Amino acid sequence: MNGRFTPSEEPAVSDELALSVRNLSTVYETGYSLVHAVRDVSFDLRATERLGIVGESGSGKSALALSILGLIEPPGRVLEGGIMLAGRDISKLSDRQLGAVRGKEIALVLQDPSSALDPVKTIGSQIVEALAAHEPGMRRAAGRRRAAELLREVEISQAERRLDDYPHQYSGGMRQRVAIAIAIANNPNVLIADEPTTALDVTTQAQVLALLDRLVDEHRTAVILITHNLGIVSDFCDSVAVMYAGRFVESSGVDHIFTAPTHPYSEALLKCVPNPERLAEGPLPAITGFPPDLSKLPSGCSFAPRCPVGRDIARCHEQTPLPHLVRGPAGEASVECHFAEQRIAEVRV
Amino acid sequence: MSERSNDLLAEQSKGSPQAILQAEGLSKTFEVRSRERFGRKQPVKVLDDISLTVYRGESFGLVGESGCGKSTLARCLLRLLDLSAGRVLFDGVDLMTLDRDELRALRRRMQFVFQDPFASLDPRMSAGAIVEEPLHIHEIGDQRERRRAAIEMLADVGLTAEQAARRPHAFSGGQRQRIGIARAFVLRPEVVILDEPISALDVSVQAQVLNLLRSLQDQLGLTYVFISHDLAVAEYFCDRVAVLYLGQVMEVADRASLFSNPLHPYSVSLLNAVPIPLAGGRARRAKRPPPIGEVGSVVKRPPGCPFEPRCPVGRGKDICRAQRPPITEPAAGHQVACHFPGELSVHGARHNGESTSLTGS
Repeated sequence: MNGRFTPSEEPAVSDELALSVRNLSTVYETGYSLVHAVRDVSFDLRATERLGIVGESGSGKSALALSILGLIEPPGRVLEGGIMLAGRDISKLSDRQLGAVRGKEIALVLQDPSSALDPVKTIGSQIVEALAAHEPGMRRAAGRRRAAELLREVEISQAERRLDDYPHQYSGGMRQRVAIAIAIANNPNVLIADEPTTALDVTTQAQVLALLDRLVDEHRTAVILITHNLGIVSDFCDSVAVMYAGRFVESSGVDHIFTAPTHPYSEALLKCVPNPERLAEGPLPAITGFPPDLSKLPSGCSFAPRCPVGRDIARCHEQTPLPHLVRGPAGEASVECHFAEQRIAEVRV
Repeated sequence: MSERSNDLLAEQSKGSPQAILQAEGLSKTFEVRSRERFGRKQPVKVLDDISLTVYRGESFGLVGESGCGKSTLARCLLRLLDLSAGRVLFDGVDLMTLDRDELRALRRRMQFVFQDPFASLDPRMSAGAIVEEPLHIHEIGDQRERRRAAIEMLADVGLTAEQAARRPHAFSGGQRQRIGIARAFVLRPEVVILDEPISALDVSVQAQVLNLLRSLQDQLGLTYVFISHDLAVAEYFCDRVAVLYLGQVMEVADRASLFSNPLHPYSVSLLNAVPIPLAGGRARRAKRPPPIGEVGSVVKRPPGCPFEPRCPVGRGKDICRAQRPPITEPAAGHQVACHFPGELSVHGARHNGESTSLTGS
């Protein structure tokens, strides 16, 4: 077990576990290589918790989401891992059994709302479809009424009338609201949102985050928000996991990462965001080198070849760091770095 | 205020800043088939009476949300698109009066870097050939000189001579953007328009590309027009910024004034909506009301102020609905098109004089 979240001053998050992931590993097997997309990831998500998973492209964050939902397709494969959803292990379920869980107890919202909606079906019929999938025999009129309620819930005006529109008649922001409406149609306990606002304008993004706020508050939904934008993590999340080369290299309550980012990768990620107040300090501290090839992972710490701390230290290249539990000024964190204890005493943003 | 903008101001106070690119009353109309009018063509004014001046040596930002016309404006500024009204002056020369050959000659001095490094490079050409091509088009040097210039330019953006033989697919996104930059800069242009040059890149790579653009600007004394939907990046990178909405200029100011004292309610709404990677984001966000309504459309631009239907200050006010606000200059160099400038203040972290910047430390 590695990442255990300890949101520092967030009594609002309950103790009730919504999702618990244990030792999850996912690979993609091509003829030539084995790509380790998710490597032995464990974490807990409490009811109403908002967990942000940040990382760059190729860090494994989307593969993790798909693995949890049982949506990994060949040549990908979940090697091992337990996925407990409200106390029940869903990792061993058949596709049919999983179909009954997906969309009902756990749901997914994707970056591109257009890809989630069928262009030749009306918005209303797609919402009704999502409802009927888990409630066979639902009456037509009842389905339509529920669909209109859902559209109102995601703040689409003139909901009744707009049920009969097609996706292209909606704006990008409205399509994302519909995707959210479909995801929450059956009141899931866990919502996984993979870059839900990346394709949207900033003002629309703020509205979608406000909508997700309401969901959590009114329906006690737990949210996993996958993003590359640290600002969104600060604006929305209770807890955060920084993902690098398929692992959670640092996980903590949200304030910790913006106060004392302990893993050198977390610190580097935070510091390469353009900061106008540091203009005079010269060039942005960019991260040198490239993320590792996930089919040829270096021994030891996977960040070592790029790490300003461990690049020249033999131990970092030889020995894989175990998670260190450390306490900083803004709460506890679990950090996979040999120097976690020293760093937490020193590093401040 | 940073060293950089101090330098710029000092430079400007020595002599008056020299305009290199000017738009005067620039409008651009496209013919669009409208569903509501049974497929008949309807003129849509994508850019509506835009006047701006870009000074030599500065980084001028064009920011706004989708549909604000920033990319169309950039293309009009280089006359990659013809104007429907108004004019564009490049170093005092009216671009619309030039014939093809004259325009081609002038194009050497102004270049474009595109957003998508995957779509903008010919997949069949080697990196070296891609960078060499503009020299070829403009008939500069002989083959050997061109070759050498291309290799040198690639070295300037951090790519080796060995990599010059590779085709675009062999490079990462950040490296491809470097090739796009090398291609634009190999002609030693005076003005480069950067259309969302880092939006398609990962954060760590964004930093590398921004650093590269900065150092090239310092070396070559270039003028940049930097198009961005990301206000934090614009604040970091630009000396002056114009905020556009539905094809009109809402506000123009130097970096410090715009980000610490935005006068247009739209600028304020934009600033408030940008998530800042600092502790306490949720508390900050709770203090700010979420933006009203959706980004409008130029097809149905309101007759008065285009922002009126979403404006926390002017929504429903007669004057805002009926009259397009004139551009005023409440402070030197700070222009705003609003009937009630400065009425809305910035909430959250930037409110109590703690930090005036988006990504404060």
